[in-house]
Amino acid sequence: MEEEFLECDVLCAGGGIAGLMAAIRAAELGAKVIVVEKGNVKYSGCGRSGNDHFETYIPEIHGRDMDVFIDELLRTAKGEILIGREIYHTQFAKAFDIVQLWEKWGIPMKYKGKWEFAGHSFPGRAMTHIKYEGRLQKTILEREALERGAQIMNRVMAIDLLGNGKKICGAIATHTREDKLIIFKAKTVILATGKCSRLYPSLTPGWMFNDPHGGVQTGDGRAMAFRAGAELQNVEMPQRHIGPKYFTKFGQATWIGVLKDPHGKPVGPFVTKPDRRYGDMIMEVNKEVAEEYGRSGKGPVYMDCTDITKEDYEYMMHWMKHEGNISLLDHMKEEGIDLRKNPVEFATYPLRCGGLIVTNTKAETNIRGLYAAGDEAFGDISAAATFGWISGENAAAYAESTEVPSIKNEKDKIDENKRRIVQIRNRECGPDWEEANIALQQVMNDYAGSVRNEALLKQGLSHLRRLKEKAKTLLIARNPHEIGRCLEVLNMLDIGELVFLMALNRKETRGLHVRPDYPFTNPVLDQAHVIRMKKNKSVIEWRNY
Amino acid sequence: MPPIIDLNKCIKCGQCVDICTEDVFYGSKEGEVPTVTYPKECVHFSGCVYVCPVPGAIRLRFPLPILLVYKPE
Ligand SMILES: Cc1cc2nc3c(=O)[nH]c(=O)nc-3n(C[C@H](O)[C@H](O)[C@H](O)COP(=O)(O)OP(=O)(O)OC[C@H]3O[C@@H](n4cnc5c(N)ncnc54)[C@H](O)[C@@H]3O)c2cc1C
Ligand code: SF4
Repeated sequence: MEEEFLECDVLCAGGGIAGLMAAIRAAELGAKVIVVEKGNVKYSGCGRSGNDHFETYIPEIHGRDMDVFIDELLRTAKGEILIGREIYHTQFAKAFDIVQLWEKWGIPMKYKGKWEFAGHSFPGRAMTHIKYEGRLQKTILEREALERGAQIMNRVMAIDLLGNGKKICGAIATHTREDKLIIFKAKTVILATGKCSRLYPSLTPGWMFNDPHGGVQTGDGRAMAFRAGAELQNVEMPQRHIGPKYFTKFGQATWIGVLKDPHGKPVGPFVTKPDRRYGDMIMEVNKEVAEEYGRSGKGPVYMDCTDITKEDYEYMMHWMKHEGNISLLDHMKEEGIDLRKNPVEFATYPLRCGGLIVTNTKAETNIRGLYAAGDEAFGDISAAATFGWISGENAAAYAESTEVPSIKNEKDKIDENKRRIVQIRNRECGPDWEEANIALQQVMNDYAGSVRNEALLKQGLSHLRRLKEKAKTLLIARNPHEIGRCLEVLNMLDIGELVFLMALNRKETRGLHVRPDYPFTNPVLDQAHVIRMKKNKSVIEWRNY
Repeated sequence: MPPIIDLNKCIKCGQCVDICTEDVFYGSKEGEVPTVTYPKECVHFSGCVYVCPVPGAIRLRFPLPILLVYKPE
């Protein structure tokens, strides 16, 4: 297997919104930056085909007290993410600067010449998100990164970090179109690989890549971070979403309609007629509402836009295009579905993996030289863009103050990674990545799903560990593309194991972590639940946010 | 199976192969009509359709399991 050695100050793993923003900032501060991206940065990650809501605090509009703004934000789904307030303070002290930068770079952040606040807000309350036209954001961010001298390597997947558990010295990556290992000697690494999407089954279990995130954000960053000694938090706390049934796509706040039962009665208390300013906030308050209606015999529920005005319909369709929903629009056109006439069914989407890599306000992890930003730490566009920028700034400053690291002691790790890839490639028969992924989704769904208890979790953990051993020793791949998929599944097996360990340790019911053996929410556990690897063993602790 | 390429219209420029992050077109050769090697890995974000310079040369066929459910009039 061919090997290539490269050196840089800042290595960004993932070229999504956070990774590109980190690259832009670090490169303009003079750092030698390389971005490795599994796919192609032009059309990768959750921001690939656009987004349309950017949360931002503008003192002239929201008032001088930023905490009032943050409190309002935490009333929405944002409140599910459990992080310290200082992180929000850092984000909102910077987010509006980023908005203005994006506008300058050519991402339209204004609507008809003004900041347009709409969606993700309760009627009569402060509005927290501006609308923006994000359809071409990825090509614009790519251009800005290249103009500042960052090097972008598409089709390169980061697979492991190099370092001694205290300090980072680089990373290993594999090419997804060639049999080639690339070893980076890097002063800093910024993890920006996004969410973990294929751990639980999709809404269409036979069609695994029907995932609103896209299919290749597979928690690689978290798995790499954990193996390198970084702290992960609340990995056992799952999340859910709500959206169009079967054609799973995000973008609930872009819909201008009312969520209704089959008899036309609104499901929630917030709106009775489509309203372009708010959408229907019931979906932010209770993502499980569609499933609950189904289970109790009151369903299905529909997104009903039929009372929409002509102007609001045009407004909604305009934003749908920017919200990454262009293919949904194409599909509706092909099928003759007209939102002015046809309510469309909404479903609660299955569980997806939650949790985050623990970072501070500088986007630093507990390992020197290792940073994380975006969905990896805590996401949405505003957080990914802002903390991407912040991570790039701090990584560049740190890189300037430190010597080029040595990777002399990393030979074993590099050889071990090479060996496992060559073995997978050389096996003649065995399970492929898809078979292993199906088995993993099955065990996650059945043993760490929406209801959990000690016996179930213990049984699931032992079964998952069996699967993991089999995957390590039996997986096959016919080419470098399938090698990438195998390494994704191996990462997800690591993450799945952490979900079980942490779910066992969380002896309470909270949010979507439902444990009938511990039915109450324990206020004492209103803390960060943190796991890390110490001397090859995982250690779990509770800590204040 | 998504995506579908019209052999008569495709000018073999490879832009769809280049843009697809999931690499559904893995193994396609330069200067030839792309091959759809991993159709089940398509995430239906239409990157290939909108990057293609020739109208109608490539389209997505949305698979049956993901058809949107709606109320007829
Ligand atoms: C359709 C849709 C609409 C949305 N709308 C909004 C909205 O309007 N407002 C909002 O705030 N949020 C929205 N979101 C969420 C938002 O897009 C994400 O929070 C944001 O993109 C996160 O940015 P990120 O850089 O952390 O991750 P991503 O943008 O997902 O990027 C991660 C990148 O890492 C790459 N990668 C993964 N693993 C590896 C690896 N091992 N090696 C190399 N590269 C790797 C991936 O290919 C990807 O390019 C939406 C999401 C979707 C899917
Ligand atoms: S982008 Fe269009 S014309 Fe170019 S290779 Fe693909 S299908 Fe053919």
